Amino acid sequence: MQKLLLGVDKFSTWFGQICSWCVVALTLLIGWEVFSRYVLNTPHGWVLDAQIMLYGVMFMMAGAYTLSKNGHVRGDVLYGFFRPRTQATLDLILYFIFFLPGVVALTYAGWTFFTDSIRINEQTFSAEPLPLYPFKFIIPLAGALLLIQGTVEVIRCIICIRNGEWPSRIEDVEEVDVEKLKEMVHVKDEDIAALDKYVVKAGGEK
Amino acid sequence: MIRKELWFGFILMAVILVAVAIMLPWSHLTNGHLGLLMLGLVVVAIMLGFPTAFTLMGMGMMFAFFAYMSRSDGHTDRALQQTLDLMVQATFGVMRNDVLISIPLFVFMGYLVERANLVSKLFKSLHLALARVPGSLAVATLVTCAIFATATGIVGAVVTLMGLLALPSMLRAGYDVRLSAGVITAGGCLGILIPPSVLLIVYGATAGVSVPKLYAGAFFPGLMLAGLYVTYVMLIAKWKPHLAPPLSASDRQVTLPPANAEIDAGRNSRVLPALISALKGKRNGNITTKVLLKELAITLAPLLVFVIIMGLTWNALTRPDEVQDVSGLQEMGTATSGTSMSDTVDAPTSGGLQEPPGSDVKEPSSGLQEPPGAETVAKAEAPPAPVARVAETPPPKPAASASFVRDPTPATFWYVLGAGLAFLAVFYAIFTFTRLEVFKMLLTSFFPLSVMILAVLGTILFGLATPTEAAAVGSLGGFVLASVYLLLTQPRESIKRAAKVWIPLWAVFLISVVWFILYKAEVLTSPPTQWVGLLSMIAFGIWAVIAMVQAKMVNTVRESTYLTAKTSAMVCWLFVGSSIFSAAFALLGGQNIVEEWVLSLGLTPVQFMLLAQFIIFVLGWPLEWTEIIVIFMPIFIPLLAKFGIDPLFFGLLVALNLQTAFLSPPVAMAAFYLKGVSPPHVTLNQIFAGMMPFMGIQVIAIILLYVFPQIGMWLPTLLYK
Repeated sequence: MQKLLLGVDKFSTWFGQICSWCVVALTLLIGWEVFSRYVLNTPHGWVLDAQIMLYGVMFMMAGAYTLSKNGHVRGDVLYGFFRPRTQATLDLILYFIFFLPGVVALTYAGWTFFTDSIRINEQTFSAEPLPLYPFKFIIPLAGALLLIQGTVEVIRCIICIRNGEWPSRIEDVEEVDVEKLKEMVHVKDEDIAALDKYVVKAGGEK
Repeated sequence: MIRKELWFGFILMAVILVAVAIMLPWSHLTNGHLGLLMLGLVVVAIMLGFPTAFTLMGMGMMFAFFAYMSRSDGHTDRALQQTLDLMVQATFGVMRNDVLISIPLFVFMGYLVERANLVSKLFKSLHLALARVPGSLAVATLVTCAIFATATGIVGAVVTLMGLLALPSMLRAGYDVRLSAGVITAGGCLGILIPPSVLLIVYGATAGVSVPKLYAGAFFPGLMLAGLYVTYVMLIAKWKPHLAPPLSASDRQVTLPPANAEIDAGRNSRVLPALISALKGKRNGNITTKVLLKELAITLAPLLVFVIIMGLTWNALTRPDEVQDVSGLQEMGTATSGTSMSDTVDAPTSGGLQEPPGSDVKEPSSGLQEPPGAETVAKAEAPPAPVARVAETPPPKPAASASFVRDPTPATFWYVLGAGLAFLAVFYAIFTFTRLEVFKMLLTSFFPLSVMILAVLGTILFGLATPTEAAAVGSLGGFVLASVYLLLTQPRESIKRAAKVWIPLWAVFLISVVWFILYKAEVLTSPPTQWVGLLSMIAFGIWAVIAMVQAKMVNTVRESTYLTAKTSAMVCWLFVGSSIFSAAFALLGGQNIVEEWVLSLGLTPVQFMLLAQFIIFVLGWPLEWTEIIVIFMPIFIPLLAKFGIDPLFFGLLVALNLQTAFLSPPVAMAAFYLKGVSPPHVTLNQIFAGMMPFMGIQVIAIILLYVFPQIGMWLPTLLYK
């Protein structure tokens, strides 16, 4: 079972990471356009639409990736203090109340939105139009990925309720990776521990 | 058996539920009351800890369906269809939101700068530069935090890094644990407020306030907050020196490179005269002229920069003709672009770029979109041409060609010049060899970062570029910074080898940048030609590819990319959820009930502001700032108009207010990040106690901003009126 869960995680991660390169493309595209517009005085009409699309694709497709890394923002005032089993029970219930209905509806609505768009061969409203339906296709696609990942998360909750602890996830880059930061500024755990004498001394003074 | 930590949350939850239960008139519930019920429920649901984006999405969908049901006379299928439409439209609205697009770019810039690994250099140079200030280590920590947090905007990383770097130095120097912890946590959170910050973009997108205005407004309050922190620390160090003792001589020691030490010979002499006399031949035998010249160049750099800036300013100020032409054309351009939207869109293709020079300027569509003055000049082959052509419509200007008469220089210019020169004189009078070393350190850490931030911010504030463009260029700047700093960590040989390739490529790139700046400063009369521009772009592209390999940037870029995707997904999916939720709230008419209720209280604007800020402050405990802004701002913003409050000013207060949420226990995440890297005997309570005075300062800052709104409003009014 764990193998299947991690496999789906890997799939979401792979998809999300590929689409996250959109941010590099976005940076380069805008950088190029800035140079070309301001310095060379040759603006391009389609760039505005293209940059919006890159941004939209990136964050929508990263939704499932972020979910697979447990990265969506949570209200942490209580949750962090619950036992894993309580956490899992709550999550399980709320996945069924909020997540699954919401995402199913979004995926379905997104699909009709996309098929309507492709029927009229919709384009962006600009002098140099780009086709719009591939961009709209992102909504059902991102929704479907979220559904797959959400199902995996539901199974995780059930496993956690059974075993009393959360099944493991694949490691990924962390925003605050303490070990990496320590290495970056050449600080070792011993150095931190060695500081304790100053703290204790200061504490004794008062 | 409920753990102690849980009580706080449960009590808060119970209070909200009870309040909702009491306030609703259960006997005659309207849709609007359901909206309020939804609002109460969503806070409770968020506190349960389920990913907020999906909580909002699910709850919004249910209530939207309910609202449509109640007005569709039993047509379930129609209500369902409307709900689905609403969801997909809300989602698509976020996907093509042209304000939110700058979030990934700023976040990307932040991650790149964070990985450039310049924070230790920055801290070290600032701490030496500020060695004589009371509480110097704490002040240096605050300044480092402010700059680094502004550039990266990642609270967790800044607090962790400063916990690893500054905390040990402060503890070793005998600083109080609480004070040290407070300085680090408070400083780390400054990035939330000082632009370019993501919080202000999120507020701008929610409240419909322009982001450049918000940035202009938050600039001085942010500096003020940082200034208040620094003042507080300095006062503490003066009054209670045992909490922040002055640095010992060995901590202030700066080792001079051998050549400089030889010239100085322990006399602590001034750099400029010493170097010049050494160059003239009195030098000691084993120092080469090359070394001396290098030191001299660094010493003279501030003077040179000052001269160039003042020279360009003088040139721009006294050059009369073209300034007038540009303004005249601009009026014409904006007037026409206001009348028809389609013309604006078509302009890039149908505009006058391909038109042969000398065609009629009077036709309005040719002047659209591009800065008109620039465009006219672009078409011209010879410098006098644009002037002559534009002069056709207004009364002709005879002598406005190659030999023009300069305008009289404004007096302010001479005052600034005098003040600058006086400052430089003082600077060189106290510029010793020790200070030269510190200056060199600042030059490689403090200046690049501050110049980058100021450039990004400056272009946004002065309307030279949109936040999106500035952020993208900032990301490229972050990439350059990170490559250079990562390269510098490599062995000498590879640095030398890389420099041989990098410097020529940069030179080629800089040709058109310098050309462009000189053109904008009206020294040159034509913009860079197409092929020079293309060459420059290609040079930058080649450099970027080479840098990826030589500075081992691949990994850095990859990690930053993935982190950016996750962070943006987090924020933007929250927007997806909240836009569905807000739509449902509006459908139910919850807004009207809130409005009626608030207006029935008969509050004065001041009381209303206080109430709003208090509610936001309280919500800052259980909720994150993103949640507060995206859920509650849509409710507050419409009310502002009723009380005649500027949403821009309100936004500044909210941003300051949400700062306190980062420092208020028990959920202040800064404290937990610091705890993670501090010695085992530093307790969370000590950290919280250290944060308290800074929270007090934040409250003072809010009051100051409230009493003197000009602190925030002066700059936006100046720039955008």
